[in-house]
Amino acid sequence: MSDNEFAPSDTHLTALQLDAIKEVGNIGTGNAATALSGLLSTRINMTVPQCEMVSIYELGEHYGDPMQIVGAVFVRSLGGFQCSLIFIQNEEDAALMVELLLKQQFGTFIPVGEIPQEMTDSALSEVGNIVLSSFLNAINMLLGTQHQISVPGVAHDMLSSILDVVASIYGQMGETALLVNTELSVEGLESGRKVSGHIILIPDPDALEMLLRKLKVM
Amino acid sequence: MAENSIVLGMADLLVIRAPVKLITLGLGSCIGLVVYDSFAKIAGMAHIMLPNSRGLMASEKVGKFADTAVPRIIEDMVKLGATRARIKAKIAGGAQMFALPGMSADFLTVGAKNVSETMLRLRRLGIALVASDTGGNKGRTIEFSTSNWMLKVKTLGKGVSEI
Repeated sequence: MSDNEFAPSDTHLTALQLDAIKEVGNIGTGNAATALSGLLSTRINMTVPQCEMVSIYELGEHYGDPMQIVGAVFVRSLGGFQCSLIFIQNEEDAALMVELLLKQQFGTFIPVGEIPQEMTDSALSEVGNIVLSSFLNAINMLLGTQHQISVPGVAHDMLSSILDVVASIYGQMGETALLVNTELSVEGLESGRKVSGHIILIPDPDALEMLLRKLKVM
Repeated sequence: MAENSIVLGMADLLVIRAPVKLITLGLGSCIGLVVYDSFAKIAGMAHIMLPNSRGLMASEKVGKFADTAVPRIIEDMVKLGATRARIKAKIAGGAQMFALPGMSADFLTVGAKNVSETMLRLRRLGIALVASDTGGNKGRTIEFSTSNWMLKVKTLGKGVSEI
């Protein structure tokens, strides 16, 4: 793929605007981390969000191995600031996150490996729901907007198939998607393994102008 | 004869002479379209993302939209020496990766629209659709062999099928 196809030909954003959107992501992430920390009763680390313009043709590669199996929770938010959000984890991390939640709620004796997938999916969707709705609450508070959030949808599949949803949101408008990407992680587990997940915020293309106006960078 | 493999990315469209294996990885709502003329030994694949260009995107990749990809791939086949009446088509993909109860949004059901638009465009050009594996809620990886003209479809949790 040539370089000029990667250029944000359809959405022109200045460095200041990208920074402002990044700050929105930061506020959302802080709240999401707090909520997840409360849910799991553990310390959560967060990264500084990236606000990125990504070619829709390269989404799969952009977030890692396009063929890796991931667990993803997707929600749609309607209201003043319309957007979609995905909480995405590699499959192993998703399973560990569910285990953390179930052990926290029901005690360490719970046989996590024997629980049917509908129930672990329900737990995963609850983790995603809490993370993503906390993220959204903070953003809408900042913007002074009202919002409703959909019931979460869960999928386990190849990263590149999951990210088709981003391509179908941005594809009709052009060739570049604006994404805010941040990572939450749980460390200090007995196993010594880090469990992490990415929050990807996908603003509706026509919600961007409103967002920039509210942030007074347009 | 050994087949070299070519992997097509999003919105790519390619027509080649056998022997070559054409591959598309991780189709979600996108469509993998293959067309072939087994007599002339020419085949093509397109990784279609969306149903309709709405006439706006003249400068974009033609493989991106069903309404631009289908006529172009047939045109390219004929240019390379395929006979139109012999061209057959197979499609896979068009899943709905997420279902949100009580919420409807165009982009969530784009897979089904990709399928219907691709089929409509093939029908309009008189191209026979001989096999398909579409819909559902799972991603697919596809490989098209130009030695037996079979499309191998791999789906997570369902294994491999050949259509």
